[in-house]
Amino acid sequence: MSNDHSPEYYKKKFIPLIYLVGSILIVGTIITFAADKMGIAEKWGFINATIFAMSVAVVKASAVMYIFMHLKWDIKLKTISLTLGCTVIFFIGMMWLTVGSEIDSNKPGHEENTWNHVGQPEPETVPTER
Amino acid sequence: METTTQPEAEHGGHHDDHNHGHAEQSFFTKYIFSTDHKVIGIQYGVGSLFFLLVGFILIMGMRWQMAKPNTPVPVLGPILEKVYAHEIALDGEGKTVPIFKDGKITASGYNQFGAMHGTIMVFLAIVPLGFAAFGNYIVPLQIGAPDMCFPRVNMASFWAFFAGCTVMTVSFFIPGGAAQAGWTSYSPLASVIPTDGQTYWLVGMVLLITSSLLGAVNFIATIIQLRAPGMTWFRMPFFVWAQFVTAFLLLLAFPPLEAAGVMQLMDRVCDTSFFLPSGVFASGTEPMNVSGGGSPLLWQHLFWFLGHPEVYVLILPAIGMVTEIISNNTRRPIWGYTLMVGGILVLGFLSFIVWAHHMYLTGMSSKIATFFQTTTMIISIPSVILLTCLFMSLWRGAIRFNTPSMFALAFLPMFGIGGLTGLPLGFNFTDLHLHDSYYVIAHFHYVVAPGTIFALFAGIYYWFPKMTGRRMSEHWGKVHFWGSLIFMNVIFMPMFIQGFAGMSRRMSDGGATYSMINNPDVTSGALTDSVINMNSMITMGAFGMGLVQVVFIVNFFWSIRNGEKINDDNPWKATTLEWQTPTPPPHGNFLTEPKVYRGPYEYSNPDIDNGEDFIAQNDPYKSASEEQKEAEA
Amino acid sequence: MEIPYYDKERPDTGLYNGKAGIWLFLASEVMLFGALFSAYVLLRVGAEPGTWSMGLMNQWVGAFNTLILIASSATIVMAWVCLKLNDWKGFRKWKWATVVFAFIFLIVKWSYEWPAKFTHYDVTFVTNESAAKVYTDVLGPEFLKTQPTIWQKRFDPLKKDEKNAPASQVKLKDKPLDGHIVGYIDSEGAKHEVGAAWGIPFWSHAFAWRHDRKNIEKERDKSIRYGEDGRPVYKEGHFRDTFRDKDIKAIIFVPAHGTWDHKEKHADSGTVKYAEANHDGGHAHSDGHGYTVTIAREDISRLSSYEPAHSTFFATYYTLTGLHALHVLGGILVMLYHLLPVSRRVYEKNPVQYTNRIEITGLFWHFVDLVWIFLFPILYLL
Ligand code: HEM
Ligand SMILES: [Cu+2]
Repeated sequence: MSNDHSPEYYKKKFIPLIYLVGSILIVGTIITFAADKMGIAEKWGFINATIFAMSVAVVKASAVMYIFMHLKWDIKLKTISLTLGCTVIFFIGMMWLTVGSEIDSNKPGHEENTWNHVGQPEPETVPTER
Repeated sequence: METTTQPEAEHGGHHDDHNHGHAEQSFFTKYIFSTDHKVIGIQYGVGSLFFLLVGFILIMGMRWQMAKPNTPVPVLGPILEKVYAHEIALDGEGKTVPIFKDGKITASGYNQFGAMHGTIMVFLAIVPLGFAAFGNYIVPLQIGAPDMCFPRVNMASFWAFFAGCTVMTVSFFIPGGAAQAGWTSYSPLASVIPTDGQTYWLVGMVLLITSSLLGAVNFIATIIQLRAPGMTWFRMPFFVWAQFVTAFLLLLAFPPLEAAGVMQLMDRVCDTSFFLPSGVFASGTEPMNVSGGGSPLLWQHLFWFLGHPEVYVLILPAIGMVTEIISNNTRRPIWGYTLMVGGILVLGFLSFIVWAHHMYLTGMSSKIATFFQTTTMIISIPSVILLTCLFMSLWRGAIRFNTPSMFALAFLPMFGIGGLTGLPLGFNFTDLHLHDSYYVIAHFHYVVAPGTIFALFAGIYYWFPKMTGRRMSEHWGKVHFWGSLIFMNVIFMPMFIQGFAGMSRRMSDGGATYSMINNPDVTSGALTDSVINMNSMITMGAFGMGLVQVVFIVNFFWSIRNGEKINDDNPWKATTLEWQTPTPPPHGNFLTEPKVYRGPYEYSNPDIDNGEDFIAQNDPYKSASEEQKEAEA
Repeated sequence: MEIPYYDKERPDTGLYNGKAGIWLFLASEVMLFGALFSAYVLLRVGAEPGTWSMGLMNQWVGAFNTLILIASSATIVMAWVCLKLNDWKGFRKWKWATVVFAFIFLIVKWSYEWPAKFTHYDVTFVTNESAAKVYTDVLGPEFLKTQPTIWQKRFDPLKKDEKNAPASQVKLKDKPLDGHIVGYIDSEGAKHEVGAAWGIPFWSHAFAWRHDRKNIEKERDKSIRYGEDGRPVYKEGHFRDTFRDKDIKAIIFVPAHGTWDHKEKHADSGTVKYAEANHDGGHAHSDGHGYTVTIAREDISRLSSYEPAHSTFFATYYTLTGLHALHVLGGILVMLYHLLPVSRRVYEKNPVQYTNRIEITGLFWHFVDLVWIFLFPILYLL
């Protein structure tokens, strides 16, 4: 945040914002925790529960970034926004492409399995049986 | 000549008075734990040149083994037998044998040398030389900054590098020797390999990566924050742009390898199985007793997520240097400077999404393969743009054929060969045949050896006068150039043919096992005599190459004390700011803060009538037309 | 020589150097943790059915630590605001609060959470029969009906369909029994208690023992060789085996609460008490451990505490939280430095520079908090 805000600004505007973000974080944590304890994974299905938990986490993270990390004031600075933009893009690329190619690769039992798994042990005998 | 802006006349050509307004530094803080970017640059330079030599010596041993499998290595062999005497277990039998027996290189020894050659060349030699050494020395000067943004972080970066190098070097001398799983360290092999070399390798890599990250942060911050007044983004010399993009590649691509390194370290030290699938066998009839469930491909993904940007880390600083040198020696502005800047930005961006072209053979589905094949083809466009711009810059130039410019000129076709031969590797269907063959070796060596290394030589010859106040010998420089050019091609050109013939890389007998001679019953597919015999020719080329480098080493050290003195701070008559400082630049670089008035490549501009064919970036001269414009406004 | 813009903002970028640097650094940190997150997702998605351990975390501790970290994140902004308002006393108060919170976080992790995991074991069995024997001991002959709910939790609910082997399809012998090892019986039949790990009574169970039956086979087929010092020459992947180093005939095991559903435990006391009754109470361990069960060495296929080598889940868990803890530690060191008298002098000389330093530390600290915001749900809850 730039240096030219008045002390008043901090007292009147910024400190209340800190309390606000703090509450968001605490409430978010409690919500996720309570939801898990109430067993939303069983009720809504695992995928939905994941989406729920991650959405709450993203809300919490955005609050931290926006206020605590001063992005509300600093995001207009090109250096920061471009750096963060690139990072987000590459992060998504890395995540999506690696996981995507893992899901999509020719593994035993996979639909698109074009490989002849000669010499591979039977799948059932591999993992846990001894 | 004396440039008009710097108060050179008052200070004379050389400045013994290094301390303008700060306390006297002790020897220790000045040369060892220095925070001065120039000293750190030189520290990096000396270290990386040393490792360049080490990497080269390793490969000479390996080349001997390929040309004459299982014969004692001359000179090196007896030394190795003594220095490198630890024993290593041979799988199954329970016997142990020395890694170097009777002066011969065993298969384990060959693997160690190979793995360490790759590691040393990439992470300990080329990156520190191109990025860290030249970057540290030149970038702050070229943008008119007094030092790097965070001088102490800069020092920390060098010492992390030093620690990493130490760990790598020590790993040769521990029981069992150095890492053997290749510079790519593919798991499961790297996770289960019995000796401790791999563990050392990982620790060393974590240190080196940390060093690079600190350096990258520092470079980017410096370029963003410390540009001199008037040094707008598009007045930056292209070398600075290249370093800027390189730093971003390091910043964002290296951390995943650090993560992967930590995971592999966990695999080795804490017995986890990040990269070990269930039911993997290391030896014997029982699978390993690990929990399993890991993914070897995860390592490959994370490695190549770094690995591909890494190859651009190797080449971009080189292109930047070549650009500077070509522009200076053709006395012409760079053709399409903005195009090149755009190209390099696109290149940097795209280099993050092409990595799996190294993994076509891992059984990826055609969807993913198509994606990566497409991005790979797209990324070759900006590469071609860069090269084309450089070729265009030669057109109608009055080229000065001195040593730096000859190395820079030779870079162009050599890099061209390297780049074009990359295309068949980028296509899924052709790569299935060429992958892991000598063709790949030839491809990337054309890019890094006669490519990057030539550019680095050019840079050394070019900036040597700035660092020392003396020139290197032109005569021996040319001997070095022609020798290197010839032998480089003798070495790498035949490898394309070997690769097409199907010779695999990483074979400790140079393919003899699969040769016609050793498989008389086989009618097709085995390696013919002529392919095998190329090994000897390549090896002779390598030894010739070594001899020629002796010329360079002697020239280098001799010139530091005895080279021809330059009597001018700007011996090449260059426009960029590093030449507008005293020689060598003092701590704090500029005598007065430079102010920049124009772009970096103002050579032979007919508008500018200052009695020279160039004008420095910080020269406040106004041409007649400019003055007229100002008057009108 | 002075570096420009080390305290003031450069007009065209709006940044002072340190801020540019820290954001770049954080970008690389995003990629570092990002790679580990991708690894987590990839390994989890690719895990074979029944191999992703779940429901083994102490969620209350995780939630507690989350709140602690949130608090520290708020206090560090307050510290910075105080500096902006020239309130040095207030600054020190909030800064110390941050350091204390950070310490609590680490202490909880290093002295409670992780050690508790290292003394908590999973046992899988050689055959279904041997498993049935032990489970009958623990839960009574009806054990399949009173099936430990942990089994359902442990086998990834993502894979509920037939083809991908739901919990019910994992063989009995591969369904782990979890608990603590309180002692062992040697080949002469003598009983040994296991003392406290490193003399800390809190962890008075076996600490990080490990056994894998494959080692016995490997010894037989000679693929493990020993050097003169009696240690394996070949690392041969992971050859640490408590049963080789100690003369153990059987282990004395206390099944943990996680083995059965809490509800069921209270509703039907039979399930828990069974082990005790089976052993006449007198068999039960004298130091009041309660329901012990003796498991013979031959019956054990794999014995592992919840250490990194336990499973890919724990490997990821320790790597991620370990790296995170290192960041916390680094943050603490920097913050302590800022509380030293040396820093006071910086403040007096150049308050702007000092405030900037605090802001940068804050940015780093918030990032550490941010990572935890994601770590908590993915490691503890999902
Ligand atoms: C037009 C540009 C380029 C294309 C299309 C290209 C393509 C490829 C491909 C597809 C491979 C993998 C081959 C295989 O393993 O089967 C490869 C390997 C390699 N390339 Fe390039 N490349 C290009 C430029 C470069 C540059 C500029 C460098 C810089 C030094 C470079 C260095 C390497 C290295 C080191 C390897 C070997 C990796 C290994 O050890 O497996 N390449 N290239
Ligand atoms: Cu590549």
